[in-house]
Amino acid sequence: MSAQYDDGTILLDDATLERFHRATGGEAWPCYQCGTCTATCPWGRVRQEPLLVRTLMRNAQLGIDEDGESLWLCTSCGICEDRCPRGVPIVRILRALRSLAWKDRRIPEGLPSVLWAVHRDGNPYSLPPCERTRWADDLEVKEFEPTDEMLLYLGCTASYDRRIQKVARSVVGGLRAAGVQFGTLGASEPCCGETALAMGQTAFAAEIAEANAKLFAARGVKTVVTISPHCFDMFQNHTPRLDEGFEALHYTQFLARLVSAGRLVCRGSFPRRVAFHDPCYLGRRNGEYDAPRTVLESIPGAEIVELEESRAGALCCGAGGGRMFLETPVGERFSDLRVRQAANAGAEVLATACPFCITCLEESAPQVDQPLKVMDVAEIAARALEPEGADVEATASGR
Amino acid sequence: MNPASNNGLRTIVCLKVVPRPEEVRVDAETMTLDRAGAQSFINPPDLNALETALKLKDACGGEVSILSMGPPFFEPYLRLALAVGADRAFLLSDRAFGGADTLATTYTLAKGVEKIGAFDLVLCGEESLDGATAQVPPGLAEWLDVAQVTCALEIEKVPGKREMRVQRELKGGSETLSVDLPAVVSVKANVNEPRFIDYDRMEWALQEAPVGVWGAGDLATDPELTGLAGSPTTVAGVRQVATPDRRRKHLSGSAGEIARALADLLRTQTGSRGG
Amino acid sequence: MAASLIRPEEAQRIWVWLEHDGTSLEGVSLELLAKGRELADRSGEGLVGLLMGHELDSLADEALGYGADEIVVAEDPLLEVYTTDAWCDAAAQVVLEKKPNILLFGATPDGRDLAGRLAVRLRTGLTADCTDLEIKTDEPALMLAAEVTGFGGGVAAIIACKENRPQMATVRPGVFRPALRRSHGEEGVQSRCPVRIDPGRVRTRVLERRIGEAVDITKAEALVVGGRGVKGDFGLLETLAGLLGAELGASRVAVDEGWIEKDRMIGQTGSVTRPKVAIVCGVSGAMQFTVGIMEADTVVAINSDPEAPIFESADYCVVDDLFSILPPLIRELENSR
Ligand SMILES: Cc1cc2nc3c(=O)[nH]c(=O)nc-3n(C[C@H](O)[C@H](O)[C@H](O)COP(=O)(O)OP(=O)(O)OC[C@H]3O[C@@H](n4cnc5c(N)ncnc54)[C@H](O)[C@@H]3O)c2cc1C
Ligand code: SF4
Ligand code: SF4
Repeated sequence: MSAQYDDGTILLDDATLERFHRATGGEAWPCYQCGTCTATCPWGRVRQEPLLVRTLMRNAQLGIDEDGESLWLCTSCGICEDRCPRGVPIVRILRALRSLAWKDRRIPEGLPSVLWAVHRDGNPYSLPPCERTRWADDLEVKEFEPTDEMLLYLGCTASYDRRIQKVARSVVGGLRAAGVQFGTLGASEPCCGETALAMGQTAFAAEIAEANAKLFAARGVKTVVTISPHCFDMFQNHTPRLDEGFEALHYTQFLARLVSAGRLVCRGSFPRRVAFHDPCYLGRRNGEYDAPRTVLESIPGAEIVELEESRAGALCCGAGGGRMFLETPVGERFSDLRVRQAANAGAEVLATACPFCITCLEESAPQVDQPLKVMDVAEIAARALEPEGADVEATASGR
Repeated sequence: MNPASNNGLRTIVCLKVVPRPEEVRVDAETMTLDRAGAQSFINPPDLNALETALKLKDACGGEVSILSMGPPFFEPYLRLALAVGADRAFLLSDRAFGGADTLATTYTLAKGVEKIGAFDLVLCGEESLDGATAQVPPGLAEWLDVAQVTCALEIEKVPGKREMRVQRELKGGSETLSVDLPAVVSVKANVNEPRFIDYDRMEWALQEAPVGVWGAGDLATDPELTGLAGSPTTVAGVRQVATPDRRRKHLSGSAGEIARALADLLRTQTGSRGG
Repeated sequence: MAASLIRPEEAQRIWVWLEHDGTSLEGVSLELLAKGRELADRSGEGLVGLLMGHELDSLADEALGYGADEIVVAEDPLLEVYTTDAWCDAAAQVVLEKKPNILLFGATPDGRDLAGRLAVRLRTGLTADCTDLEIKTDEPALMLAAEVTGFGGGVAAIIACKENRPQMATVRPGVFRPALRRSHGEEGVQSRCPVRIDPGRVRTRVLERRIGEAVDITKAEALVVGGRGVKGDFGLLETLAGLLGAELGASRVAVDEGWIEKDRMIGQTGSVTRPKVAIVCGVSGAMQFTVGIMEADTVVAINSDPEAPIFESADYCVVDDLFSILPPLIRELENSR
């Protein structure tokens, strides 16, 4: 077992070193210990003791086995990676270290249960698969067919969380307004596997991804559009392509295409000052900053303001990397800082496009003095679809 | 992968596969259970029993065997338990075992335990989600003529002795027992957090791991004591009682009226198990 | 079929195993005496209470008053505290001697522990955790039809044991009304049944017992839960919890605000609870909260907002101010004590 003594002496052992290298693929080697990552990591802004990213990288290089509690703090926001002068894939390395922690069974309480839920129920919330379609009970959304323009992939949170179901219904409203022919996988929709990946269960995530690739191929899916940027990232970057493959899109990307093609036109208006919070998995992790803004800009009346830290520099909401399933004490939540930035920018509405961001930001919103409403881009668009903006969500009767 | 060890505890974990309760329907015409459409999973408390067994193995060594009685489709679930950490698995599967109540089930499981060989501990989940009888562990202990503890919360081996310390739930509290080995112990649901599948064991578990499948001939069971024939109880009828959905019943009226209705409700609910 | 040790035609009377703590009878035993009386009257059988333990005189006198025709007492120093081996040996001796037709137990930890083993020793059928009992008087040997629920409570089945005796069942506490104490003159008779227990066969020993210690919320049978809507004051909720023997729980907001300890938080990053009943006050019902009460048997929600999503996760919904509902509710419960 490797060890580090108070006088700075480090004792290394070959077996651990070997084990670390196999897990990380040696990807930590380029790190030259500049410390930029530790300095940029948002944990340093909310905690006395920052997340010592640089130290974790050195541990990964040398095979030093430390108590890994801090390992589970990382939200995989990717800002450190973006700034790293050596291009070290920090998030991937941290996931590899997490996978070693699973082997040693040094894992925060609650995470095994989340994974069992994904394995058994196909969602991390331990909810029955047969309830997956309840969000659309009165919407008459049909099963996907290969002739459809795209597969709408709800994901677990939009399927089960009543707050996020509203987002899904708004997306459906937008798609119907634009005359898009689409379907879903109904109750047989599987989990995308991102929760497993984020928690460092790489093999389990790969198993899910492979099954999903087969499913998409068998069902004739050519385009899959997700509600959550987390599912999008999973399909885009971690799911293999079989046969002709498929294109993965986040719904803001799909809506932006519809806007550009003149298919989605908002006839109503949304006369508010709106700031957009870039979800890490859409922005930094996948380089998509423009699509949500294109949709927002197409909405008459909406005045778009930028947050102090936006686009590639956006501050994370705090829920990525499995943090949605781990408790963060009051005072240490990134979303508290973020809603203050929205207030400073004079926003009345804080828009975003990720179920986890919505949950975190909405919970923090009461902390600012002026009223701040947290809405999804789809909800804003749905509200502005028709004059007088009566139509907040899709309804059974209409579109 | 895991050579049998002569030291440590030889533990057998009884495991059952159950249909998802919300997907089981009663066929209104035939008045029988329709499980065909239902997906299955490992009975949740059995995973708590497996976790208990693996923790004991971590602490004092030994080996963990899985024992199950059921149709051949159980096998992949047994392999899953192997991937979680068990060393070997045995499935008691025969048409002759079908339709067994607890008497016949415990007899058959006991024959399986005997065939596995010498053991120190048999662990079961507190009860199964489908039958919810909680009678298998005591029945099994009786057939095997060994000590029994039900509703166990914590289990610890006493070093150097054929003895365990078991904390057991009581009505309104708990008791600590010293228990002679061998013993059959049933573990309360949710007493621990079952570890997740170890994917490094997956290939072995799916392909190489031994899963013994034993029928009536292998066990030399008495046909009078197994399956339907060996079951003194019979099901005289079934019916659907409730959907698992919440009732969403609104109580209205003045604050006083609502309070009275709630008080009546709470008096019955807190005295009984509701549902 | 496993040959029954007792033939149907020689089996007689309805027996109830009387569980006790040395000074008083368990609630479920009183419930079974009441139900047993009803079944006995309908079928013209006698009702017998089986009392096991050590130095039981006063308890035996007490037990006589609840409607049984006879109380059979089995005493031995080894029956001082419950252990499976001693109690099963003793019970089996009594049963083989007296040959009951029906033998009922409360589905308590000890009742289930004993009944499960005894049934196998007697090679008879046991119906577990029954929610109703009926007797078929038209059947030749007075057949017991016992109702059980399975599959998470979604399916009910009627179970019968046709040929083996005694017909054994454990019955869920709380489904029947308890027997009331009868006036003098209506009491039954008392008898003793000697038992012999071999100490060498008692393979478990009780080292320690702890009753009435604080439970954590994951094990609580009843919960009173508050959210942002309690506005900093858990006082009323605490009073209500006291009356119901419930524990306090909270949403994350209530914990964040410092109104209550962190270990009482329910939900995705708090605890998953499984109470029989949860009374949820001033909680909006975000999914991060509701996943923590999914497995509650019954949920009561009190919230002033008719649109609050918590109502979709509730069995009983009260759209009202919690501060106007809780005080009269507390008064009602206090009055009925
Ligand atoms: C990563 C993450 C994890 C989380 N984990 C959890 C978790 O484990 N558990 C959890 O609870 N939350 C969790 N949350 C927070 C969750 O999203 C909600 O914000 C929280 O549950 C809301 O708490 P609440 O219902 O008490 O407050 P609110 O949502 O503010 O609701 C208060 C409710 O009280 C009602 N009310 C107000 N006054 C009265 C009155 N006088 N009488 C009756 N009703 C009244 C209102 O109508 C309202 O519905 C988590 C959030 C995140 C981001
Ligand atoms: S920023 Fe990059 S090079 Fe610098 S310490 Fe972090 S990982 Fe190493
Ligand atoms: S990805 Fe984000 S949270 Fe994780 S270490 Fe880097 S900056 Fe910190």
